[in-house]
Amino acid sequence: MGFYMLSYLCIFVSILATASLIYRQLTLPVHVRWELYPVQHETAARAAYGGSYLEEINWWEKKQKRSLFNELRYMLPEILFLRGLWKENRILWWSSFPFHFGLYLMIALFGLLLLHALVILWSDDPVTSGGAMRSLLNGLIVTAGWTGLILGNIGSLGLLYKRWTDPELRNYSSFSDYFNILFILLFFFSALAAALFTDPLLEGAKAYTFGLLTGGVPLNAYAPGQSISGGVAIVSASLLVAYIPLTHMSHMFMKYFLYHRVKWDDAPNRQGGRIEAAIMENLELKPTWKAKHVEADGQKSWRDIASSAPKEGK
Amino acid sequence: MSPSLNPSDIAKPSNCLCHIEPGELSPLPAPYEDFNQVTIPPLNPEKTGNIETSLDDTIAIGIPKPASKEEEEALILLFLTGLKKLFEKENNWTFLQPLLLSMEHCAKCQTCSNACPVYEMSGRKDIHRPMFRAEVLRRIYNKYLKPGGKITAKLTGDIDLNWKTIARLAELSYRCTLCRRCATVCPIGVDNGLITHEIRKLFSQEMGIAPKELHEKGSVQHLRVGSSTGMNPLAAKDSVEFIQEEMEEITGYKVEIPWDVEGADILLIHNAGEILSWPENVGAFAIIFQAAGVSWTLSSETTGYDAVNYGLWYDDVQFARVAVKHADIARRLKVKKIVVGECGHAHKALTVTADRLLTGDLNIPRESAMVTLEDIVLNGKLQFDPRRNDFPVTLHDPCNVVRAMGIVEPQRRILRKIAPRFREMTPHGVENYCCGGGSGFAIMSGYNFAEWRNLVSSRKKFLQILNAFQGEPQETPKYVCAPCSNCKGAIRDIINYYHAEERSRLYYGGLVELIVNAMTDMKKPIIRFGDEPSWKS
Repeated sequence: MGFYMLSYLCIFVSILATASLIYRQLTLPVHVRWELYPVQHETAARAAYGGSYLEEINWWEKKQKRSLFNELRYMLPEILFLRGLWKENRILWWSSFPFHFGLYLMIALFGLLLLHALVILWSDDPVTSGGAMRSLLNGLIVTAGWTGLILGNIGSLGLLYKRWTDPELRNYSSFSDYFNILFILLFFFSALAAALFTDPLLEGAKAYTFGLLTGGVPLNAYAPGQSISGGVAIVSASLLVAYIPLTHMSHMFMKYFLYHRVKWDDAPNRQGGRIEAAIMENLELKPTWKAKHVEADGQKSWRDIASSAPKEGK
Repeated sequence: MSPSLNPSDIAKPSNCLCHIEPGELSPLPAPYEDFNQVTIPPLNPEKTGNIETSLDDTIAIGIPKPASKEEEEALILLFLTGLKKLFEKENNWTFLQPLLLSMEHCAKCQTCSNACPVYEMSGRKDIHRPMFRAEVLRRIYNKYLKPGGKITAKLTGDIDLNWKTIARLAELSYRCTLCRRCATVCPIGVDNGLITHEIRKLFSQEMGIAPKELHEKGSVQHLRVGSSTGMNPLAAKDSVEFIQEEMEEITGYKVEIPWDVEGADILLIHNAGEILSWPENVGAFAIIFQAAGVSWTLSSETTGYDAVNYGLWYDDVQFARVAVKHADIARRLKVKKIVVGECGHAHKALTVTADRLLTGDLNIPRESAMVTLEDIVLNGKLQFDPRRNDFPVTLHDPCNVVRAMGIVEPQRRILRKIAPRFREMTPHGVENYCCGGGSGFAIMSGYNFAEWRNLVSSRKKFLQILNAFQGEPQETPKYVCAPCSNCKGAIRDIINYYHAEERSRLYYGGLVELIVNAMTDMKKPIIRFGDEPSWKS
């Protein structure tokens, strides 16, 4: 039961940390525009060379054309295959891609395991029913699991080697950078060892996920600790789930904000619109910068200061 | 070779953290090999006695050394207060979200380094890595402002905070041109250019530390006198009147330049540097607008005849003041739109960045001159003879126009129509390289900073220009079209520094000059290559 308690706690921490990160982003004040082209939700013709709606004469009189399809067409290969890294830093891609894709496959695996558990729970006869569906799921679980674990191990070892041996990376790496990779490697390695030596069909993973949905009690629940490597895999996976959102590795999902809230945020401010209302609120904030030319006294708002000329040079 | 440095080395005692030896800069091809052993001339100790010079071979700001230990400690505290304010919405709503995202998600993969022309051209010196200064700020923030930071710093990256750290960080924020090429290649979307911008802001808004050319002689003078050039409204009008006369003499075309026309369709705002240094650019705009029958005006109001907004590079408050002033002038003139002349940072400042600052009737529509000109040139409003531009032309892309605004094709469509020997640089468009004069560098020349710029930050652009004209005979005049005043300034300086007019017959100018040069209405060419006219009248 200790394993299950740990997993529940880690999932809870992860949800809380992720929600808090996202909530903070959603409640930050509207900032000034700082987009960077190409912006991929532009029309296909413009996105191809990095053009924008600002290329049109009297652009404010026209409806801005945005394309979700273009955005997805760019983002999917970027997220799945790290296209940017392939283009700009090929040497690192050879380690980074298997590492990331291995993690994606682990997430996919967890989804499949949950589905598998739900199928069992909904079946009248948990052992024999849902034949075709169960077979398909079993096949997908084994494929995703093995591929992900192999890629993850290769990627983690590659990244560790690269960070350790390449002076460009080593000079800028701290203890935590190595720890993060080693932590992930520990999971990939122990999980691969468990699969390789005791559980090639990932029956333990299926049973443990089933147990997660049922508090570890019912029939098919896995009793952790049957192998050391299996136990280490469960503990390290649980801890990683909690740990990732607390570190810079949260870029896995925070990248959404880096792109959509900054890099591609080209929404113009229209009179009477939502953005204008937010700016008007911002302009009422009262800065306290100390340089004399700012002339902030804690009473003047940004609006007051922006509409005045500085009396002091410094 | 200097030893490799990591971010914590910024605090260590040394008279010069990073020195460039002769031969370490990226090599230049023939006929410029004689510059390959040239390095930044040493600073004159008589002029730098009391100035902080311990970062590298040059000085951008010129920060006085603290007179006592107490003053030093007070400055460190002031720095930390300012750093805290960068993360408060009352003080930094303008960039809080982008800053937080970039501070928290760097994976230290160094992809940004290979995209940075300053890093590459410097001989790959560590201090010029885009993430070096970002990592310094990140470590200081994590250690000194986050709860438990002094303990976690041992795990996440330690740094000492002393006067050297602060003074070097301030200087280091002026070794990056804010071209943001690093941010375009970051797989995560981290923007080290933005972090540099925020470092500059902290120093300016909290500590009153900024290069004189940007602050006292820049944005303060702009708001007080009317222009960062020091020209007051009367001087500006006199100069433009002179330009008007000159244009007729040069081109044989009589032009009237309108001032303060209420209700005009367009308020055109030039970088006032054009009026002083490139008057033919101002004249060429006037010729095009007049010939195309455009309803337009200039403003003679203080600040209204100078589009620059240096605050964009170092200070949000000064940025906001200038942007509001520009918009207010347009509002009172009741124009339909503001058109920003050939000035890259002014494009971005007024059109894009200030978009989330101007509300109500201050939100006057704003447009790039590239777009306005394209509408005139491509829609048959003027007649052209492209054979008049029968010389090799290449286009420099100002970062603020292409990468920061996505205005890439209008200027190219114009060139394809009027310049038959136009060719691209490699790379170009949103992947362009900065001229090396970005973020204020083009106007900064104290101590030996101009030499540093010519040798290091502009070096990549010089190589690109030479490559673009590869295969052209030496004696053929070649035109670098740079539709941005700061870029033109930087390109002018590299042409002079490397004697490129004599050695490669390189010339430079704006886009409007090329347009006017090809207009059939002109009796004489506006473009000359030294004493030689670009076409026979």
